[in-house]
Amino acid sequence: MNIRLDNLTVNFDDRFQLDEINWQLDDAQHWVITGANGSGKSALAAVLAGAGDTLSGTLEGLPAKVGLVSFEAQAELIDRERRKDDADIMDVISEGTPVHEILSEGDRNPQLIDQLVQMFKLESLVNRAFRKLSTGESRKVMLIRALASEPDLLVLDEPFDGLDAHTLEMLQQYLAGLVTTVPMVLVLNRFDEFPEFVTHIAYVDHGRLQYQIDRNDKQAYNELYQLLHLKTTDLEVPGADPETAIPRLDPAQPLVKLNSINITYDGHRIIDSLDWTIERNQHWQLSGPNGSGKTGLLSLITGDHPQCYVNDIFVFGFQRGKGESIWQIKQFIGYVSTALQWEYKVGTGLRNVIISGFYDSIGLYTKATDRQKKIADEWLALLGMSDRADTPFNKLSYGDQRLLLIARAMVKHPPLLILDEPCLGLDDMNRQLVLALIEKICAGSETSVLYVNHHAEDKIKGIENYLKLEKREPAAS
Amino acid sequence: MSNNYFNTLPLREQLEQLGKCRFMSINEFGDGVEALKGKKMVVIGCGAQGLAQGLNLRDSGCDVSYALREAAIAEKRQSWKNATENGFVVGTYEELIPTADVVLNLTPDKQHTPVVNAIMPLMKEGACLSYSHGFNIVEEGMKIREDLTVIMVAPKCPGSEVRNEYVRGFGVPTLIAVHEDNDPKGEGLALAKAYAAGTGGHKAGVLMSSFIAEVKSDLMGEQTILCGMLQTGSLLCFDKMVEEGIDPGYASRLIQYGWETITEALKYGGVTNMLDRLSNPAKIKAFDLSEELKQIMRPLYNKHQDDIMDGTFSRTMMEDWANDDKNLLGWRAETAETAFEKTPAGDVEISEQEFFDNGILMVAMVKAGVELAFETMTSAGIIADSAYYESLHETPLIANTIARKKLYEMNATISDTAEYGCYLYNHACLPLLGDFMKGIKTDVIGKGLDLEDTGVDNARLIEVNTALRSHPVEAIGAVLRGHMADMKKIV
Ligand SMILES: NC(=O)c1ccc[n+]([C@@H]2O[C@H](COP(=O)([O-])OP(=O)(O)OC[C@H]3O[C@@H](n4cnc5c(N)ncnc54)[C@H](OP(=O)(O)O)[C@@H]3O)[C@@H](O)[C@H]2O)c1
Repeated sequence: MNIRLDNLTVNFDDRFQLDEINWQLDDAQHWVITGANGSGKSALAAVLAGAGDTLSGTLEGLPAKVGLVSFEAQAELIDRERRKDDADIMDVISEGTPVHEILSEGDRNPQLIDQLVQMFKLESLVNRAFRKLSTGESRKVMLIRALASEPDLLVLDEPFDGLDAHTLEMLQQYLAGLVTTVPMVLVLNRFDEFPEFVTHIAYVDHGRLQYQIDRNDKQAYNELYQLLHLKTTDLEVPGADPETAIPRLDPAQPLVKLNSINITYDGHRIIDSLDWTIERNQHWQLSGPNGSGKTGLLSLITGDHPQCYVNDIFVFGFQRGKGESIWQIKQFIGYVSTALQWEYKVGTGLRNVIISGFYDSIGLYTKATDRQKKIADEWLALLGMSDRADTPFNKLSYGDQRLLLIARAMVKHPPLLILDEPCLGLDDMNRQLVLALIEKICAGSETSVLYVNHHAEDKIKGIENYLKLEKREPAAS
Repeated sequence: MSNNYFNTLPLREQLEQLGKCRFMSINEFGDGVEALKGKKMVVIGCGAQGLAQGLNLRDSGCDVSYALREAAIAEKRQSWKNATENGFVVGTYEELIPTADVVLNLTPDKQHTPVVNAIMPLMKEGACLSYSHGFNIVEEGMKIREDLTVIMVAPKCPGSEVRNEYVRGFGVPTLIAVHEDNDPKGEGLALAKAYAAGTGGHKAGVLMSSFIAEVKSDLMGEQTILCGMLQTGSLLCFDKMVEEGIDPGYASRLIQYGWETITEALKYGGVTNMLDRLSNPAKIKAFDLSEELKQIMRPLYNKHQDDIMDGTFSRTMMEDWANDDKNLLGWRAETAETAFEKTPAGDVEISEQEFFDNGILMVAMVKAGVELAFETMTSAGIIADSAYYESLHETPLIANTIARKKLYEMNATISDTAEYGCYLYNHACLPLLGDFMKGIKTDVIGKGLDLEDTGVDNARLIEVNTALRSHPVEAIGAVLRGHMADMKKIV
């Protein structure tokens, strides 16, 4: 068997569309298709069973007999049975089609049906009307139909959903016994349900096949696990710590007010007479090419730029240069940047890295309270890193480090969260991860987000204010 | 010439000053920089310490500006650039010193006498003069106007660390002192504490000490274990390896980065941890070598301490100052010509553990140097806390400089005084270890022990472990590192 999808775009009753799918399934491969709800993972599986209208591209090599189990197929069958009832309504009250008839419809192996009925413990139900079955029972019927058809390809969409532990184990074993005879494609949402025999994983997002991963690629596998976790978890952004609360700000004042700001390096003016006010509850995106002074401007706000003492800067209630300390400023800011990541070269455990966000320090120099530990653990759970609380930070992958630093920046629920090119240097999977986390944060807190990116088009949901810096040529100054 | 202040004191007073040292609790810094609020701080010199301390103090809310000598301003020297590019007010002595409540003298120690003589007449009545090293007061006997308060705030790290640690939200261990002859208003301690807090030092641990204890221990540490031992060790180990046919590029790398790697273990868990990184047979080997080294080098350590105590060291160094640094410059040039210095580190991968396994002799040298310096200092009346900071604590910091750019970088980063002492030590120590080095083979430097025989005698191992763990530098080290709490899980 060799199924090829080339640039395939498939439409499903204008409700949903799969776009430009390129995918090849070979013999001896067993795939899992995964993705968040609504991503199109079931649609992709259904395509293998011939569903949808092809708009463009090609689909080749589909075998003649495809065994499909899915909620849609199940619903369709139930619906068909119901319509039969409707048609009969004038006549005698119909009991509906009994299970054994449903099972033996079409070209199926009768011995195998009997064997499977036993295995699924459906013996007592074979004479019952199909439409009287519970969801779990009718699902079992669907599974038996598919398996007994001795298909050339088995497509199982969430086959383990709603099965009791015993049946689940039995089914998994049964499928494992088929690996050498039938290629399988399973749609599964939960990583812990991926059977051992699966060799490849397809990740679908927004109707596109985003990633195809070889099971043996451990790193990619782990990243995908995390991405799926962030996209599907019900966990929310953990709350602030009431004991290490940030002082209240005067609600009438802006968070940041820069008046006619200049930044000059070696006589060259990078930023010239810029005014900028960030009000509470505003989300901003700052963009501009490299060298346009984005990072300089940010460090005027965070207090890391020496020229913040020669500019008119009002931040979080302080007019700069009047005897305040930078720690008084930093307590109001969460900050993530590539530079911070380079700076954050520590062997501190992950939990403590998150806790260090309460103290704005790199590394942790203070004993953490139990409550801070608990909050940090909630963040780790959100990130899908609970099992790594004590892993040293510098042992993490680059993308994981970034996620962790975002959690560190947010842990105190600062009034202002600055994300300076948070996706810089990340591959697509990790970008997805970071963006998923940022969207969760934007949705779940009162923090104003200042998102910096040199691509103005790389937008984040929920941001409505834009500042674009231009690069000033030396001649202009 | 100058008067050695220490030598003018009666023995009773000398001992009292030398023994002055108390580890301060973080709770003593509850007022933060309050004592400096509303006061004008003027820094003289904007070099390594000047810039780092000034940036930290300003970021802590203090009012900081820089007074530079006229030539530095006129020629827009690096010091002028350092200050102006960071947005500080810069002015001449005449412009700024009269307005200063606190003057921070952060010029090179060698220049202190002329600098202090120039600024003292300009200083406000009742102002404060501060140092980061007490050489001028203790060894040169500088007399400060009676109305002025004289304090010391000495970070126990190079300037770059002082700044970096502050930015990380931490600080570096710091020693503070008040010159008792110059504390007319009794505000010296409050000012020194606020200053230490402003640089972030209070977060890493502050020792309340005396000018004398600081100078005598600082000099001892820097010329023996910190710089001298590393320089001598680098040269001897490199030459030996090359002589034994090891690739020079490999030898160069093993040493250049080896000090940093092995002393990293020292920083976390003292001498014990450094030796625990070795296999059992290698540990016993390193222990034996270091015992031998200690025996050979002890008279040299004693001589350095004696010369420092009675002023011989500073007198000879000051003679060299007066002689246009003839010795210093000559020795500096000599160092640049050594084979180790001239052989770039080869492009070979050396794993962290390999630095230990193939550098047993280097481990032994660090152990011998740390313990000898500590033992010599404490037997000369310096308190263990102080001796710890001036020996074990600073060794990894100096080792880092060698990793950056070999001995050149080390000698460029440390003060002239340290550099001078380092060469003195090196010249005495190289011949002293001549015979010892004859017996050294690549099993302890360059290749590691032959691993076919990994057996050790239990009784001997227990003996060695006990000896390691019961050395007094380990006891005080455990306490002081503990004070830094969960600190510095920084790698
Ligand atoms: N380095 C360390 O690890 C360390 C640690 C603790 C304490 N300390 C102490 O800190 C103090 C400063 O040491 P450092 O290492 O920071 O010195 P440094 O880097 O050499 O800087 C000295 C500064 O003083 C200026 N200067 C030199 N000669 C001068 C003169 N005659 N008059 C006025 N200014 C002069 C220099 O600028 P111009 O030449 O441009 O004028 C330079 O900016 C010393 O007391 C030292 O013992 C150093």
